[in-house]
Amino acid sequence: MPRLSSRLLALIPLAVGINLALGKVASATSLPVFLDTVGTVLVAALVGPAAALVTGVVSQTAFTMLDGKLMWMAFLPVQLGVALYAGLAGRYRMFASPARAVLSGLGLGVIAATLSWPISLILFGGVTATGVTLVTTALTAVGVPLEWAVYGASLGNDLLDKGVTFFLVYVVLEALPSRMAARFPAAERSRGRA
Amino acid sequence: MTLGYLPGSGLLHRSHPLTTATLAAVVSVLAFLLPGPAGPGMLVLALCVIAVAAGMRRVLLTSAAFSAPFWAFLILIHGVIGGDFATAAALAGRITAILTVFLLLLGSVHPGRLVDAMLQRGLPFGLAYLLAATLQAVPQLQQRAAAILAAQRCRGLRVGGSLWRRARAVVPLAVPLVLGALAEVDERALALETRGAGSETRRTALEPPLDRPGDRAARWLLLATVVGAAVWRLLT
Repeated sequence: MPRLSSRLLALIPLAVGINLALGKVASATSLPVFLDTVGTVLVAALVGPAAALVTGVVSQTAFTMLDGKLMWMAFLPVQLGVALYAGLAGRYRMFASPARAVLSGLGLGVIAATLSWPISLILFGGVTATGVTLVTTALTAVGVPLEWAVYGASLGNDLLDKGVTFFLVYVVLEALPSRMAARFPAAERSRGRA
Repeated sequence: MTLGYLPGSGLLHRSHPLTTATLAAVVSVLAFLLPGPAGPGMLVLALCVIAVAAGMRRVLLTSAAFSAPFWAFLILIHGVIGGDFATAAALAGRITAILTVFLLLLGSVHPGRLVDAMLQRGLPFGLAYLLAATLQAVPQLQQRAAAILAAQRCRGLRVGGSLWRRARAVVPLAVPLVLGALAEVDERALALETRGAGSETRRTALEPPLDRPGDRAARWLLLATVVGAAVWRLLT
């Protein structure tokens, strides 16, 4: 675990707050996205994967506590996968242009769907009682086997969600004043300026 | 429907926070270990008895409301479409048991007491602070997100329409929220520094929760139950 400096102690709660508050934005626009990893990806791009992993753990714990549903903790590996992938994306300057950001977001969509699929299928029988379950039900009703219905529904949702997430982080990094970016060790490299 | 801490003085409120947390962990493991639908069903029944004995009947209503969508979808997918109602009942029972025990934990243990108990057990201050500060930051940022949404709508932003138009509306709503939060980091870091947050010294809880012999015995009994159930499942 990284040593939690005062700056990280200040940043992580705000990043988790962003993860959970952007749900309001998603529901206002009625888009089929959660935007619940924007803060985690942002910390990965600004500080690095280790800090993003801590953000992912705290985010999943806070979401579970505030939503009152302990089973969401089972999806912790998805948050951790997002943190690691976003850290690597930052290291390879994937936030340097909108096209690179969206493309790596789509790559994360495939990884996130692949990570959440077995959890959803084995632990919950494919039912998470969210909008994704409606798609799963519709696909099963037309004869698609349950395993593929769960994967298909997750993949469609995750591709859009992670594509939008990476694009948003790209816009934020672009809009970040240099003076503020200089306070975060990985910011300049992530946006391709170092 | 209630969610979160409910003030009271019942059995679970008087217990050490780690005893209730152990109960939640043990029930979650047992829900998967015990064969369904009878095993999870018995767990739900036991939790109902505990909730009534602890004076927390309201939690059962919340649990029923939270479980209902899972029951509906599981019966539809596994029962009506898949023709396997026993699997639907087993999965739904498992989810209901996990939901109920977690709601009992949230309702009976104040987050501050849980943090005190964990600090007493040697949890680093940084981690305890992260959890407490996060639970505080989330409602603040949610309020700010709602304010930004209202302000942008006043300026003529349309959040409805085609998929493309709705996707474009996300940027002016999300970016000010994220940049505003990042601008706060310095101020918060300075406040933490002046309060000695970077110090490695172990903190002493001001009012640590009492850990009675009954609590310790209950925790050992719960752990023995899990081990017993695991051995039984391996042998049968």
